[in-house]
Amino acid sequence: MTAFEAEIVIWLNGFSGSFKAFDDLMRIAASDYLMPLVFSLGMFGLWFSGNAPAERVRYQVQMLVGIGALSIANVVVWLFNITLDRARPFVEYGDQLNLLFYPPTDPSFPANPVAVGFAASTAAWVINRKFGWWMYAAATLFGFSRLYAGVFYPTDIIGGALVGIAVYSFTTYLRRFLEPLVTTFVRLIRGLSAA
Amino acid sequence: MNIDLYTVRDLFAGHYFLFAFLASLGTIQITTANSGIRGLWLTPHAGVTRLLGVALILTGAVIFFTQPLWVEGPWAVGSVEADSTTRQWGTAAWHELAGARNVNDIHGGLDGIKQAIWFSLATLTAFATSAIGGAISLKILAVSVGGASEEEYLSSYEDDGLEGLKRRSFLSNLPISYGNFRTDIPQVWNSIMEVADDWSVFKLFSGRAGK
Repeated sequence: MTAFEAEIVIWLNGFSGSFKAFDDLMRIAASDYLMPLVFSLGMFGLWFSGNAPAERVRYQVQMLVGIGALSIANVVVWLFNITLDRARPFVEYGDQLNLLFYPPTDPSFPANPVAVGFAASTAAWVINRKFGWWMYAAATLFGFSRLYAGVFYPTDIIGGALVGIAVYSFTTYLRRFLEPLVTTFVRLIRGLSAA
Repeated sequence: MNIDLYTVRDLFAGHYFLFAFLASLGTIQITTANSGIRGLWLTPHAGVTRLLGVALILTGAVIFFTQPLWVEGPWAVGSVEADSTTRQWGTAAWHELAGARNVNDIHGGLDGIKQAIWFSLATLTAFATSAIGGAISLKILAVSVGGASEEEYLSSYEDDGLEGLKRRSFLSNLPISYGNFRTDIPQVWNSIMEVADDWSVFKLFSGRAGK
């Protein structure tokens, strides 16, 4: 499986160097700072969305679930990382790849940035389909850019996406387990004039 | 050139905070313009506030990704593609700008936890800035809301929180919101407890599961 995947990464990465503008776009999209901020802002924006108070509470609870999912996704990826130590593509096929990103030192599977992105995107999609699709597009671009840069295999990206969606589902149950604490927390912030 | 890890981290932290602050401020402006929460608008008009929000987000991103052109850091010409430890200190060239920010967290970039801390601080600062800007919009510019001034609206205690900020400034809204919270909270807790799932940990411990 890895040999087949490596062929895909090498083929895709082989386009790098042909169009500098596209390579630069991928470098910026792959950055540790841009897409994670987009996901965080997406969640943050939910807090102030909604026209009526009841609708706003739904958005705000969803934002807390999304942030919880985002955090738990990191823990789940870490658990995978200490269990499955899959080497990065540039470690095994470095001589055939043009690395467009710094060489990360943590294991490849599952893709942490994609897991985080899909957890946040699913939280957005559940409350607002159109906004959610945009978030999914950003998470997919994030994953693709890392694949193109030669730091992930395709199954790392797919695995990361599945982890993100699964963790979101788990977090919705966790929220029900913690109620009425979550909704009361939103009410407390409303008491501070910020919700 | 051997670059001190903490020097790089401090540089990234400052730049990231500015980026997150401007982007958060922009997000608040866009979302509150859409939901009519005037107490957080930096301008008196919804359309202008929305445009200002977009401009703030774009400005934050442009400043963050072009800063290596004029601010010295671990992205000097010729070293951007190199491993972080061997990077040269200086300003970046245009052709290396896109990859200049790609520095591993073990070599001074910000890891996820540090980004979360700086992002949280940036959002709080952005909210405070919006609250001050909103107060100026409502009070100094004496914006009339639905035919009533803010002072007239203060006599109404029904709306609080962000709903109250649709017509009041943050400082005018805070005592009303907090007062309502203190009055409501036992009822809020009990009513949510009633509709909560049976597997709610609070319901289980209070012996109300299955009732």
